[in-house]
Amino acid sequence: MTFRLTCPVCGKRDIYEFTFGGQERGPRPEQEGLSAEEHFRWVQFRMIPGGMGAGEDAGPRAGGPGQLQHEWWYHGQGCGVWFRTTRDPATNREVKDGSGEG
Amino acid sequence: MHWLRLRRLWRPAPLKRRYDTVIIGGGVHGLATAYYLARHHGIRDVAVLESQYIGFGGSGRNTAIVRANQRTPENVRLYAEGLKLWRVLTDELDFNLMFFNCGNLNLGHSEAALNGFRMAASTHNFLGVRSELLDPQQCAEVIPGLDISDRPAFPIHGGLYHPPGGIVRHDAVVWGLAKGAAAHGVHIHQGCEVRGIDTEGHRVTGVRTSLGHIGCNRLGIMAGGYSTAVAAMLGIELPIHPLTIQAMVTQPLKPFLHHVFSSGAYHVYGSQTLKGEIATGAHMDPQVNYTTDATAYYLKHQAEALVELMPALRRVRFMRIWAGLADMTPDMAPILEGDLGFGGLYLDAGWGYFGFKSGPVAGKYMAEYMASGERPEILRTFQLKRFLENRYSGETAAVMKYGHWD
Repeated sequence: MTFRLTCPVCGKRDIYEFTFGGQERGPRPEQEGLSAEEHFRWVQFRMIPGGMGAGEDAGPRAGGPGQLQHEWWYHGQGCGVWFRTTRDPATNREVKDGSGEG
Repeated sequence: MHWLRLRRLWRPAPLKRRYDTVIIGGGVHGLATAYYLARHHGIRDVAVLESQYIGFGGSGRNTAIVRANQRTPENVRLYAEGLKLWRVLTDELDFNLMFFNCGNLNLGHSEAALNGFRMAASTHNFLGVRSELLDPQQCAEVIPGLDISDRPAFPIHGGLYHPPGGIVRHDAVVWGLAKGAAAHGVHIHQGCEVRGIDTEGHRVTGVRTSLGHIGCNRLGIMAGGYSTAVAAMLGIELPIHPLTIQAMVTQPLKPFLHHVFSSGAYHVYGSQTLKGEIATGAHMDPQVNYTTDATAYYLKHQAEALVELMPALRRVRFMRIWAGLADMTPDMAPILEGDLGFGGLYLDAGWGYFGFKSGPVAGKYMAEYMASGERPEILRTFQLKRFLENRYSGETAAVMKYGHWD
């Protein structure tokens, strides 16, 4: 498999030039009144979209095929920019849906 | 060839609309749990649902290495019992699992690595598990092909030798457990994809599958790399990243490598299979995904690493490359949990790249957990809530660590 990722500065490059920065999780929760448990839940717990078996009967938050993940990447072996892109974990391919900034 | 038909290991059973216990995932963990539920606890009304065919996932894609040289006492204890089960199961299942007790040699390439080995060996020895430190000369006596000169970029400083480990034929484990489970009355349904989980109040009541609805009192999610997707059906978030991990084999060679070897610094491990191939792996792609894609990048890396450690492999060709999913947790220890907010729901996941070696022993204790509802003492460390209490397992300090996902 050849898998390339689109760097906003350098264009399509080999994925091994990049470092995966994880799922886009929105803003960090307000620390005021945040319990330790809520904090750790935010840090570690994830819903990973795109898994097999999560068909149309699955719950609204479940990850079915075609569901996308917005995520961060770092072009460490290139221009050094951090950027957001959208990828389908069911196919491992970058998807242009307009919501990623890549 | 008529005798082939007479010697079928197990037969498909008719799909019932209701089982006492349903297990999602026909891999080593699911089949072992079903086997022990029936054999040890008299719970025979069990179905194992597999969306593809048994052993399709990690159970048939791993590199078959077994060992008990983890870092923390809780983990070592579990894996050490697991190591003893291969011989017992070979007998019990009346099926040759081809346990090759060749021992494992971890290579250290710095003084810091050797310090890590010393601490690990102390833990192992304290728990009665054999592990010993070797100097480079002794490493070369164990594996004569190793280059212990100062030529490699990271010369070998020493090794941690672990005689109780080895390799086990992974397909045989899947088939043997299926045979044993079916003989005790367990129904194994292949090509049965779970699409949803039904609940009533705060209890699981059944699963919706590609073959219709199946009711149950107890449900085990043991779907390896796909466990996050299955848990998502109930809106359960997990601290698990499914990552693709790749492996490959070379052309068959005459026997020359009589131990499993591994190197964290070179990101490589290997062993010679009983067919003569060098089975080798370690590379994990860092982005979460559910594919089993292999990459040319990794073929090249693997060739470089192998040749650096064992120059005699220079002209040997790779024959096959494949990949499977590793369900990585933040602390490299699994999640074995029956307290997920739904009565009757159990989870056995997050094994990362330890899913094969742990299969039978995890199944044994998950069966006890599911049968009694009481968490066995040995599983106490592996609760899900440790991640909410900031009580991580110390397993990330293990001497062998291949990932760069964190």
